Amino acid sequence: MKTASTESTLSPIWNWKITALSFALLFFVGILAVSFGPVSLDFMKIIKTLFGLPGGLNGQERTLLIDLRLPRALLAALVGAALATSGAVYQTVFRNPLADPYLLGAAAGAGLGATIAITSAGADLYSLLPIFSFVGAILAVLVSFFISGKFFAEPNSLLLSGIAVGSFATAVQTYLQQRNSSSLRPVYSWILGELTVANWQKVAWSSIYIFIALTILITVSKQLDGLMLTDEEAYSLGINPNRLRVIAVVAATLATATAVSASGLIGFVGIVVPHLVRGITHRVTNRGLLTIALVGASFLVLADLGARTLLSPAELPIGVITAFVGAPFFLVVLRKKRLVSK
Amino acid sequence: MTSVIKVEDLTVRLGSREVLRDISLEIEHGKWTCLVGPNGAGKTTFLKALLGSQTYSGSITDSGVEVFKNHDRNVAFVPQHPQIPIGMSVSEYVMLGRSKRDGWGNESTSSRKLVAQILKLTGLFGMQNQFVTQLSGGEMQRALIARALVQEPTLILLDEPTSALDLHHQIAVLNNIELLKERGVTIISTMHDITLAAMYAEKIIVMQEGRVLLNGSSDEVIHSPELKSAFENRINVYTLESGRPVIVAKKEK
Repeated sequence: MKTASTESTLSPIWNWKITALSFALLFFVGILAVSFGPVSLDFMKIIKTLFGLPGGLNGQERTLLIDLRLPRALLAALVGAALATSGAVYQTVFRNPLADPYLLGAAAGAGLGATIAITSAGADLYSLLPIFSFVGAILAVLVSFFISGKFFAEPNSLLLSGIAVGSFATAVQTYLQQRNSSSLRPVYSWILGELTVANWQKVAWSSIYIFIALTILITVSKQLDGLMLTDEEAYSLGINPNRLRVIAVVAATLATATAVSASGLIGFVGIVVPHLVRGITHRVTNRGLLTIALVGASFLVLADLGARTLLSPAELPIGVITAFVGAPFFLVVLRKKRLVSK
Repeated sequence: MTSVIKVEDLTVRLGSREVLRDISLEIEHGKWTCLVGPNGAGKTTFLKALLGSQTYSGSITDSGVEVFKNHDRNVAFVPQHPQIPIGMSVSEYVMLGRSKRDGWGNESTSSRKLVAQILKLTGLFGMQNQFVTQLSGGEMQRALIARALVQEPTLILLDEPTSALDLHHQIAVLNNIELLKERGVTIISTMHDITLAAMYAEKIIVMQEGRVLLNGSSDEVIHSPELKSAFENRINVYTLESGRPVIVAKKEK
């Protein structure tokens, strides 16, 4: 094996084989997820059905795959990719390893929006809920920006105003919940996160927004590394730091708001997945952003599989699974890699 | 003459405060110019204005072009308080210096060789897989210089490059900067230690409360009586047998 000391060169900053590997991982996990359940589907038959080859599933099994399991797995993948990617981007932009997608009050705003939808709208709940939570999230983020005033001159002031806006929204939400105790259950189950109501319509609209947001983020991802330096250093390396931050935060918030309105508050993905990928690859560069998206998608598809099957026929909230599995796993990586300090 | 940085009527306001006032001067390329002066004199702001990242009124032209409009300029900036990215390895950190040349997200094979070479030169080779957060103050300063070196800039701006270092490392870093100058790079730095500034820089600009008080060759500036008044007569200038000046603070009664 060639060693660096004899060659006098360095290994590449990012190994794209890792990205290819994470594509394969997502494909494998996806097939696994749609094959398991109360009725098990055959691996090969699933692949044949998906590629339109003869010898695939038919009848009820086909309906089960196409109408139930596939949209659910796809929605889980989209939400996982959105949360993991925006988590990684927020961590870079705010130079804070603890930053997560629910920062800037996005989650609390979405929660408040959803609560208003659930408590005030009687009838067509599920068509209104995404719109309300989406508007709530965007409004919360705008208010955080407005309060912080300086915008990005001081990343921490934006973080702090986000926390304040989040607390306020949560307080209003709790108040509404208490006033309307009859709707406590649906609000609660939405907050814990759920993918049970996945359907093709939901997959379609969330995929549009998430696809736009992730395309923007992955396009600017290479330059994002410059935001980990001081603004002057970034500038000297050819970056306009403030413009880049605005693009990154808007796109990441769009991804988060879509994810939240599609599936409720699913915690921990935005922190665990980026740090997991960085810990394993020993690289912090945002060239790994696509990999983080793919691993995030795989993570949530697996978590949803767990949520569906562990207590079958009952379902666990997916947020419980992500935290239950994610937290200890994350701590092990953190301890091993000593990412936090010396 | 285009090979100078020409500053005319430069004024910088931060909020309601005028941090720099009516500065007009020329800085020659290929030389080491040092900005000295008490804290709050506006040295760092001046550096940022020279970089082009600080909004200013007046004009700063480098080889005839206004600096904030010139995006092709290759200027390295070494801050006094760098942002040290958590989880970033030394090789990733130094490689960032190639981003403008190779394009962000790409790195050429020759860049990887150059980075290895510069890591050897700065004594960091072998540490390339360590996290930058694990480096000592001296090692971090060398990593910063290494990143500036691989950028292959035409101008390097250094904000207090020696402030965090012990005497031995100060000299090591300054010698590295001098290497840059030998390669034809223009150097503008701020420095607290006027003695060190006089040892290395060819030109010294003394600043006070946002104005330029003195501007000339190191020798002229060090021996000028106005230098003392810039520091409110709180310094003494001695000359060693070798002819080298030493500036020390006066003890207050």
